[in-house]
Amino acid sequence: MDHLRPPIFSVDIHPDGTKFATGGQGQDSGKVVIWNMSPVLQEDDEKDENIPKMLCQMDNHLACVNCVRWSNSGMYLASGGDDKLIMVWKRATYIGPSTVFGSSGKLANVEQWRCVSILRNHSGDVMDVAWSPHDAWLASCSVDNTVVIWNAVKFPEILATLRGHSGLVKGLTWDPVGKYIASQADDRSLKVWRTLDWQLETSITKPFDECGGTTHVLRLSWSPDGHYLVSAHAMNNSGPTAQIIEREGWKTNMDFVGHRKAVTVVVSSQGTEGDGLQDSLTCLKRPLVVIHELFDKSIMDISWTLNGLGILVCSMDGSVAFLDFSQDELGDPLSEEEKSRIHQSTYGKSLAIMTEAQLSTAVIENPEMLKYQRRQQQQQLDQKSASTRETGSATSVAGVVNGESLEDIRKNLLKKQVETRTADGRRRITPLCIAQLDTGDFSTAFFNSIPLSGSLAGTMLSSHSSPQLLPLDSSTPNSFGASKPCTEPVVAASARPAGDSVNKDSMNATSTPAALSPSVLTTPSKIEPMKAFDSRFTERSKATPGAPALTSVTPTAMERLKEQNLVKELRPRDLLESSSDSDEKVPLTKPSSLSKRKLELEVETVEKKKKGRPRKDSRLMPVSLSVQSPATLTAEKEAMCLSAPALALKLPIPGPQRAFTLQVSSDPSMYIEVENEVTVVGGVKLSRLKCNREGKEWETVLTSRILTAAGSCDVVCVACEKRMLSVFSTCGRRLLSPILLPSPISTLHCTGSYVMALTAAATLSVWDVHRQVVVVKEESLHSILAGSDMTVSQILLTQHGIPVMNLSDGKAYCFNPSLSTWNLVSDKQDSLAQCADFRSSLPSQDAMLCSGPLAIIQGRTSNSGRQAARLFSVPHVVQQETTLAYLENQVAAALTLQSSHEYRHWLLLYARYLVNEGFEYRLREICKDLLGPVHYSTGSQWESTVVGLRKRELLKELLPVIGQNLRFQRLFTECQEQLDILRDK
Amino acid sequence: MAKVSVLNVAVLENPSPFHSPFRFEISFECSEALADDLEWKIIYVGSAESEEFDQILDSVLVGPVPAGRHMFVFQADAPNPSLIPETDAVGVTVVLITCTYHGQEFIRVGYYVNNEYLNPELRENPPMKPDFSQVGSLYLGGVQPCKLGVKVSS
Repeated sequence: MDHLRPPIFSVDIHPDGTKFATGGQGQDSGKVVIWNMSPVLQEDDEKDENIPKMLCQMDNHLACVNCVRWSNSGMYLASGGDDKLIMVWKRATYIGPSTVFGSSGKLANVEQWRCVSILRNHSGDVMDVAWSPHDAWLASCSVDNTVVIWNAVKFPEILATLRGHSGLVKGLTWDPVGKYIASQADDRSLKVWRTLDWQLETSITKPFDECGGTTHVLRLSWSPDGHYLVSAHAMNNSGPTAQIIEREGWKTNMDFVGHRKAVTVVVSSQGTEGDGLQDSLTCLKRPLVVIHELFDKSIMDISWTLNGLGILVCSMDGSVAFLDFSQDELGDPLSEEEKSRIHQSTYGKSLAIMTEAQLSTAVIENPEMLKYQRRQQQQQLDQKSASTRETGSATSVAGVVNGESLEDIRKNLLKKQVETRTADGRRRITPLCIAQLDTGDFSTAFFNSIPLSGSLAGTMLSSHSSPQLLPLDSSTPNSFGASKPCTEPVVAASARPAGDSVNKDSMNATSTPAALSPSVLTTPSKIEPMKAFDSRFTERSKATPGAPALTSVTPTAMERLKEQNLVKELRPRDLLESSSDSDEKVPLTKPSSLSKRKLELEVETVEKKKKGRPRKDSRLMPVSLSVQSPATLTAEKEAMCLSAPALALKLPIPGPQRAFTLQVSSDPSMYIEVENEVTVVGGVKLSRLKCNREGKEWETVLTSRILTAAGSCDVVCVACEKRMLSVFSTCGRRLLSPILLPSPISTLHCTGSYVMALTAAATLSVWDVHRQVVVVKEESLHSILAGSDMTVSQILLTQHGIPVMNLSDGKAYCFNPSLSTWNLVSDKQDSLAQCADFRSSLPSQDAMLCSGPLAIIQGRTSNSGRQAARLFSVPHVVQQETTLAYLENQVAAALTLQSSHEYRHWLLLYARYLVNEGFEYRLREICKDLLGPVHYSTGSQWESTVVGLRKRELLKELLPVIGQNLRFQRLFTECQEQLDILRDK
Repeated sequence: MAKVSVLNVAVLENPSPFHSPFRFEISFECSEALADDLEWKIIYVGSAESEEFDQILDSVLVGPVPAGRHMFVFQADAPNPSLIPETDAVGVTVVLITCTYHGQEFIRVGYYVNNEYLNPELRENPPMKPDFSQVGSLYLGGVQPCKLGVKVSS
């Protein structure tokens, strides 16, 4: 019993004890498998080949499944995995067999379990999930440090997100009476939360202080009587223990000892005499059973059997073992009633164990509640009768879709299959629906399926779906209902000439609703089923070549509409609703206010649109129609299209202001004040520029209005109207005669003696004012902004005059003047950064905080270490590669930015990583470059410095790092000797 | 999570002459209704050495896809023999069936195809210039090499 040996991370026995689920790693995905329990319990069943062992396997999870848990009712199974998702599964009845495609040995699934909800919220791997005792809540915890409480009645609603852990949350358990939930995390704490307000009740850290290292999971558990909470991975006198926390005052006096290594899983025996077990363990301070050498690798999860006398244990080594105990080994198990009695006597009332029997005796205190209860009972009754009918028909239908066997369908599939061509001439196949997602709402499910004809469909429709499916909004019964019978046949008629073999189906199906609709009108109900119908009609009608059939139909339909005096009743809402049902009706309803000639025009446009993306447009049309005539709309659209490509990149221009102040730096305090058009001299308005630096002030006047200003400790520059740029020294002396920019200024920036001007036409220039040279000459941003509607969100100019553009899509480019290229130096979405794990190479925590332009661009939130921990399931090789790539990127980026400090930091880090992981070739190449030619030759191209650092000095720093790995002792001595030679020279 | 998963791919008419069209009956399952069409492609790998010889035999849009289990037959013409390197004409190659959603490939099913001369004599002494009319194709079996997640922006 294994998944062919990939690790199994979780096991859980179904509450009825007949099956159990395991979760773990599949071949290229996560895997959840449901197994039959009886072959495990009875040897005879194991040998009997007729008894299936594996009931269902689901490989929908994209990554390893860390946890599987049955709901207490046994109806649902929740699974959480490394793909950050929680999936909730429910048993479904399907027509036809199901296999897991692509898995070796195509095993048919005996039972069908369907994913009914996918819960997306966690930003990291989901480590554990837990159903609350009353199944109303589902809790999940993740390496994103949070615990999320989901509303299990109304997925995917989130009731609360519990924040407070500062480490990866790796285990969850509910208090059996539902008052608390406890979570345990890598931050060496166990937190207990109240379910009343989802606030923290207590945080227990003491037993975990000594803990070193981390474990994959921290599965803690509450004892069934609720008195004790047993945690995993605690330490006592430097021995690993399972800490017991008392409910009263959350005291931590007792623990389970005896483990030699860290405890990862604790599961209180469910249904077992809680006291007996715990007494024997805690008072005697002896473990009840010692099981060892069972598995090759660590145990990941444990689940108790129904009778409390057996456990299933799963392990990293990919196997599950069943351990059977006898009654006198463990003590007498408690029955559910006894347990619930204990709960009631100790806690008054229990959220969890409201059994059927108790429910009937419970007093309903609220009349509303009584009503609700009655209704619920009624519904249950209805459901039951419906389900018996359903199962009745379903069994007879097995392998048969609308009177045909699956085999017949397959034979004729190619002939029957509806194939159309889209506007761009592509083939489009409408797939044949062979089975529906049957998750409760049988009627809707049934209606989506396409081949809905024949006797089966007929009986289904007339028996129980007809009373339920009626779609119409009760507020508009008349107008709507009346329009139905007339539009429906129209559609059918238009569809008829199109498909030939399909034809029969559509006729059958369409005639049914038409016949039904009159009876349907008065009953208010959900809108889905009808929509499903209509969407099918739209698909069908697409099979028709389109326009001719429709246009020929519309006038007659319109007349009929008119006859029925519908026209004036059509309010905008009706229009919307009706047209969203089917696009055929758009031309029908619209004519009410428009002339007939215009109608034809519209029909044409409808047709045109339909060819492209039919379904979207059917939704789009009503809106555009009700707002304005489509002709103008399309005209506008065309205009937009025309103008869009012609439009060159245009960056925002600062508007003229009367006055503004700009703080250049706070230390030394320096600010610039600008006052536009303050004085008039001889009819000419002058603008004043004032600069205050540590109390020393200077001012000057300019003849045109100042649009923007910038300054550094060395220069002050202002951009004026008429594309003029003026540069002043720190004392207010004009350094250059005004520069004429190619187009109006967008952004101005100064660093040191460098001035950067970004113009509205998206060209960038950088000048070194002191040396009076150009660094970047009117470089266009086209290459980095082209294609999409990105904008420059932030600009930066380094101390070395390297411009950096942070774009709105999270990427940052710097311009490399020597190569005249834009280089990508940072990408917020860079997955490499998230995968890279070089914590081991970090000299110390604070060394991470290396400041410089690269750090500014990339942001300080270097949580790479934390992110990398998510990847423990990724093969080491992959992580090595990503880390190497990431570090190399960083080194190169620091180099491009000419940030010597950061270059040194990342180079050392990179070298350290190479040393730790043993990459000799790359390390050698670095050393060679840093060392250079030992014997001086004139023809050498070697530069002795890199970004202002002496390479040989860097190599000296590197040597002790290289020396750490004995494998590199040759390289170490080589470099050492050569450096010595150089020094002696 | 994989919204769409392939349940089965059946090769119709197997083995078949080289020039006869490919016919795959594909059943797949979708857990939520898809807003847009799926795009399926059949790619014939002409030569293992280079992607240059890959021939996209056909691509087709499949939709609408409501939640549930669906089936369709994907038929595509046989590969153009003139685009296949002569050295790779006979032997084992691969046919890929890929599925993309919003331009993102997320399913790739591969089939090994064994092309060989039907005539035993020709099999022993293959002609210098491949004679495709004498070649039959035998599908050796499917593998599903990869399954990727689809990001559905919703």
